[in-house]
Amino acid sequence: MKAKRRVVTSANGERPGLAKRRPTVRRIKPAIAPVSRHVPDAAAPSRAPASSGSRPSLGHACAAPTTSASNSTVDLSVDLGRGLRLENPILVASGTFGYGTEYSDVVEIQRLGAICCKGTTLRPRIGNPTPRVTETPGGMLNSIGLQNPGVDAVIAKYAETWAGWRVPVIVNVAGESVADYVEVVRRLEGVPGIAGIELNISCPNVGAGGIQFAIDAGAAAGVTAAVRRATDLPLLVKLSPNVADVRPIARAIADAGADALTAINTLSGIAVAPSRQRPLLGNTYGGLSGPAIKPVALRIVYEVSQVVDIPVVAIGGVTELADVLDFLAVGAVAVQVGTAIFADPTLPVRLVEELGAECRRRGFASYAPLIGTALPKRASAPSSKGVEYRP
Amino acid sequence: MRLAGAELLESREILPGQWLQTFHAPELVTGARAGQFVHVRTGDFSGMVLRRPFSYNTIDPATGTLSIHFRTVGRGTEWFTRLRPGDRVDMLGPLGRPFEMDSRTQHVLLVAGGLGIAGVRSLADEAIRDGRQVTLLFGGASAREVYPSSLLPDEVEYVVATDDGSVGHHGFVTELIPEYEGWADQAFACGPLPMLKVLASLAHSRRGRLGVANLGRKRGGGRPIPAGSPQARRKAFLQVSMEQNMGCAVGACLGCVVMNTAGTPQRVCREGPVFASDELDWEGGW
Ligand SMILES: Cc1cc2nc3c(=O)[nH]c(=O)nc-3n(C[C@H](O)[C@H](O)[C@H](O)COP(=O)(O)O)c2cc1C
Ligand code: FES
Repeated sequence: MKAKRRVVTSANGERPGLAKRRPTVRRIKPAIAPVSRHVPDAAAPSRAPASSGSRPSLGHACAAPTTSASNSTVDLSVDLGRGLRLENPILVASGTFGYGTEYSDVVEIQRLGAICCKGTTLRPRIGNPTPRVTETPGGMLNSIGLQNPGVDAVIAKYAETWAGWRVPVIVNVAGESVADYVEVVRRLEGVPGIAGIELNISCPNVGAGGIQFAIDAGAAAGVTAAVRRATDLPLLVKLSPNVADVRPIARAIADAGADALTAINTLSGIAVAPSRQRPLLGNTYGGLSGPAIKPVALRIVYEVSQVVDIPVVAIGGVTELADVLDFLAVGAVAVQVGTAIFADPTLPVRLVEELGAECRRRGFASYAPLIGTALPKRASAPSSKGVEYRP
Repeated sequence: MRLAGAELLESREILPGQWLQTFHAPELVTGARAGQFVHVRTGDFSGMVLRRPFSYNTIDPATGTLSIHFRTVGRGTEWFTRLRPGDRVDMLGPLGRPFEMDSRTQHVLLVAGGLGIAGVRSLADEAIRDGRQVTLLFGGASAREVYPSSLLPDEVEYVVATDDGSVGHHGFVTELIPEYEGWADQAFACGPLPMLKVLASLAHSRRGRLGVANLGRKRGGGRPIPAGSPQARRKAFLQVSMEQNMGCAVGACLGCVVMNTAGTPQRVCREGPVFASDELDWEGGW
């Protein structure tokens, strides 16, 4: 089992080992006039190179803490591959932030690292019967059923708006066949305003008996490879936690050409109606999200970070800076905030500030020293071996 | 839409398990209209992760106060009952689209089933302020659950029906409609789905019988009014305030939909909660 990872938190860290897979670094969005708190752009002098080969440890993967860091701007930028460079590592998760416009009255959306929009499919989908959401202890269940107007309508309605934004928009793509995914991505290719793709592979592969792509390494790699061939856009692939061992799946996806992994999607669950005569959700099954799933997300990020050398973006139950720091410690280079936005819409922007402040407080010029600090020196035993009984 | 703190001024259990709370929240009162709602945070993330939506029960711009009315049905609503005057909560609002009244409407019929009173209560104030006559038909399970008449403006004619006949008409509130539909220029309702379904079908048949379902529409003339627009609602005989479980309450999560007659999901939090009754597909399984 290989235990190696690469951390890139600065714009122009050369990535020799991966050069073959990254022939084009396209500028997806035109450079937008920088505002004050701007991070160095791609032409700025290089920071200390990212670690390569071995896992980072404190003070290893970044510039040595500088005295000036305490009062100057901390570099929070992160490179997710193929030119997808974010100003900071705090993203908003698909399905919880609509198309970025819904919360703009109360959230300074341009200060987010990126926005992952609602899952987008080839054809419009009206979604699942209601009720679609319900609160559970420390979390919620949802079964929206991928309601969306279809890729063409999404482009027509939002792309122009997105192109004018400083914050990159990553389109979350779903489908029920490889051909579906490929066609959606083809239509997104070259459209100004679209900074990248996040594949939601927790969808049934209708041609293959309706088994989710995400739970089978071959199917997951197959859809990733097909999409990779169809686009030069930065490609993130989102892992499902509903699998016995996530590591082979993560590796297969990385080998198939994904630029980054995002983890995790929701955990499958149900709730019972108050009458106790039927399940509560209109669709029976829902996806569990929120603080309740954070330990599972941490475990998966921990396992995945040890077996792939592409960036891992953590998702699952982030509600405060401590959660961000935990996910960085187990190897994530960025995090997405989802369910917590519903209660606390301004949380993601505050996390950007708080992460910067934390780095300043500790004298770091970037947040790279926070990454991977809790990873084991040697590859750890996987959770699939069981928790109680050590082999 | 604004995010603002609201300070609890008064909290009263007006009926068994039903609470009326008044908050000082000038930022959420400015511009708010009857039919809209606030989404209120319940503490921190140590337990509950979702806000709770409440209709504006009353809106008082003069004092910068609003009130909400709810029944304790779970951990969230119980949490609210433990708030004490002076406590502050975080509110998002005003959310959703309000009731729309035709300028020529003189006779306003409000229909409330149980807690649905909270959805139409502030419209009574608005209508009376604008010099209209208001009749409120209220349906409850029993006398114990009848909304206190003392909490209504004096000008409102208040008619009650109870399921067990312990006060007022013995039966469903919808059975009172035939006596009022001729008098009413427009009707506004909030309550359980079965009640709204009956009202919607009554409103539909009224159009056939009375031929004036769309008050004030000029025959043949004018541009067609897009379904779902405020203008279309303003012309509808019956407007209903819908309920659905909510996540975000700003239109982002698509958790809260109802179907319109075209088969397109409508977000209760964004396109609603107020809809013209003939916009919605009442037979749909949502
Ligand atoms: C209401 C809702 C809708 C979601 N829709 C999508 C979606 O369309 N595509 C997707 O990949 N993930 C979707 N997710 C999953 C989230 O992006 C995220 O992976 C998950 O909620 C875990 O993060 P959290 O605990 O911070 O919410 C959705 C989650 C919620 C709560
Ligand atoms: S509650 Fe999220 S869209 Fe209505």
